[in-house]
Amino acid sequence: MSLAEAIRVALTQIWAHKLKSLFSLAGVAIGITFLIAVIAVVEGMNRYVQEDFAGSLFGVNTFSVVRRPTVQTGNRSAEEIRRLNRNPYPDLDDVAAVRRAVPSARYFAYRDARRMSQVWHGERRRRNVRVIGGSEDYQGTQGWEVEVGRGLTPLDQQRGLKVVVIGPEIAEKLFPTASPLGKRIRLEAHRYEVVGVFKRKGGLLGNAWDAAILMPYETYNQTLSSKRDRVLEILVKTNNESELREAMDVAEGALRVSRGLRPGEENNFYFQTSTQLLSAWERINNILLAAVPGLVSISLVVSGIVIMNIMLVSVTQRTREIGVRKAMGARQRDIMMQFLAESSFLSLLGSGIGVLLGLGLGKLVERLSPLPASIPSWALATAIGLGLIVGLSSGIYPARRASRLNPIDALRYE
Amino acid sequence: MQGSDETVIVTRGLRKEYDMGAEIVYALRGVDIAIRRNEFIAVMGPSGSGKSTLLNLVGCLDTPTAGEYILNGSPVQDLHDDELARIRNREIGFVFQTFNLLPRATALHNVELPLIYAGVRAGPRRERAARALEHVGLADRMTHQPNELSGGQRQRVAIARALVNEPSILLADEPTGNLDSTTSADIMTLFIELHHHGQTIIMVTHEHDIAEFAGRIITLVDGMVASSDAKLSSAPFASAAPPVITNSS
Repeated sequence: MSLAEAIRVALTQIWAHKLKSLFSLAGVAIGITFLIAVIAVVEGMNRYVQEDFAGSLFGVNTFSVVRRPTVQTGNRSAEEIRRLNRNPYPDLDDVAAVRRAVPSARYFAYRDARRMSQVWHGERRRRNVRVIGGSEDYQGTQGWEVEVGRGLTPLDQQRGLKVVVIGPEIAEKLFPTASPLGKRIRLEAHRYEVVGVFKRKGGLLGNAWDAAILMPYETYNQTLSSKRDRVLEILVKTNNESELREAMDVAEGALRVSRGLRPGEENNFYFQTSTQLLSAWERINNILLAAVPGLVSISLVVSGIVIMNIMLVSVTQRTREIGVRKAMGARQRDIMMQFLAESSFLSLLGSGIGVLLGLGLGKLVERLSPLPASIPSWALATAIGLGLIVGLSSGIYPARRASRLNPIDALRYE
Repeated sequence: MQGSDETVIVTRGLRKEYDMGAEIVYALRGVDIAIRRNEFIAVMGPSGSGKSTLLNLVGCLDTPTAGEYILNGSPVQDLHDDELARIRNREIGFVFQTFNLLPRATALHNVELPLIYAGVRAGPRRERAARALEHVGLADRMTHQPNELSGGQRQRVAIARALVNEPSILLADEPTGNLDSTTSADIMTLFIELHHHGQTIIMVTHEHDIAEFAGRIITLVDGMVASSDAKLSSAPFASAAPPVITNSS
């Protein structure tokens, strides 16, 4: 019997017993749904973290000096967390110390920032904006591009001019019809002239930045700063990996000196790199990717057993048919192939449904949360492969039993 | 082919024993028969005499405990499962009392079955199956499933299926056992026509009037051949032209 014929018979059987088939493939479908959904979310987060988050927040060969880590990496004791929380914010003295220590930096920037509940233009208002006072190089470290108008110039910085570049979402809200360039916006009691609009970034991170307002650090420090000379973050980008290590060492020494720390005293500041962030994510990622195959394989083994049982019942119910086929000249392998084709198709159908449901679930997560979903092709191949393996392995025993039936007994079976 | 005395089947000392645990059942106790090409044989005997066992052995559905079985000149008693399957496929056509059609398949697909296992490609397979159905007068019932056919029509489908691969022997186990007398007569008319066209037929029956259609009656008693009468005329209708088969059944 050709494979095509075995498949044809299998499909006829599956179609003829729709409800039974549905129950037998449900297990596989659920297992694969779970697998695909988790992979979709994990891969989506992976891509987001690597391409979007770490990249734009830090970029490679970049370190930042902060009060305490913005992302928890590794296990810290409560004691350690309390200590980190006692660290003072960096300030302009620290900026000067680091700048002196790392004169060869490719970028050197610092910023302060705060969330503000509203920004005004006349009667128009945008709620919930992020106001950043950035130093000269800051815009460059973020990779922000200006869509309309201009970015901040060294002159704006030096003179502390009250000029801002605004995010596209703010521009849309405050200036729905006219060009925002040269117009004034108001934050608290201060007025600033709009000189440029950023290009839309979109995506998870973009949403926050698309509603941001960037002004010169000096301007921010004089008008909106909650604590004068405070800096949230000092950013240093070096030319390569080895320079990064070196720059971090030198900067650490310089900060300790400028902050008057005694030898043996802990640093009261924190160095953050993109590598650290990525490794933190990788740890989460590894746990997920290690746990998922275990859970999925349990569910697939169970569904394999379900399929096997249903196939065994099916062999019994079709004993007479097997007898007829044997009397007509079916060899053992013909019968075997017929039942294997049936169990494989059931299982493949299940994994196909699982892939679709999993994709749907991933898309749903994407809709309801800011996380993107992404399905790598290896996940699809794995799902199909698993379906085939479950189908074949659960079909072997029933198929062997069917193929070894004695034709006379099978023909007489009532 | 008609009248050829080439021997198709020879059995020598054919024995079949079933170990039932508590006792051994001797179903056949040394059967010697020889059947020539184009014979129409009826196997008779009381129940338990070994008729069906003999038919199973001749049909290669089972292997003998002892003795020889030579089919078309080659011994088959020691062949392996898959080789027996091949012989059943090529040399033997089965017709059962209960028809044994696949319930969910159309008449055409049922008839295609032996050709599928013979490895015939879909195109010629369908063509040959259709021709076999036409031959038994069911040209207009090809797409019907067994439950849409009458008993006689089902048996015709089974006969078409048995003959589609042009086997050397047609084996029929009580082919009219589940049919009324009119339909039985129709089926027997078909058998006679097949016989006239050269088909070798071996038919198990316990009805004397059915056996009367055969050219020779082999009677089994207690697993042994009690008599093997060759009749002068091979069948009541044999001399007359076979009646036209219509599909009224």
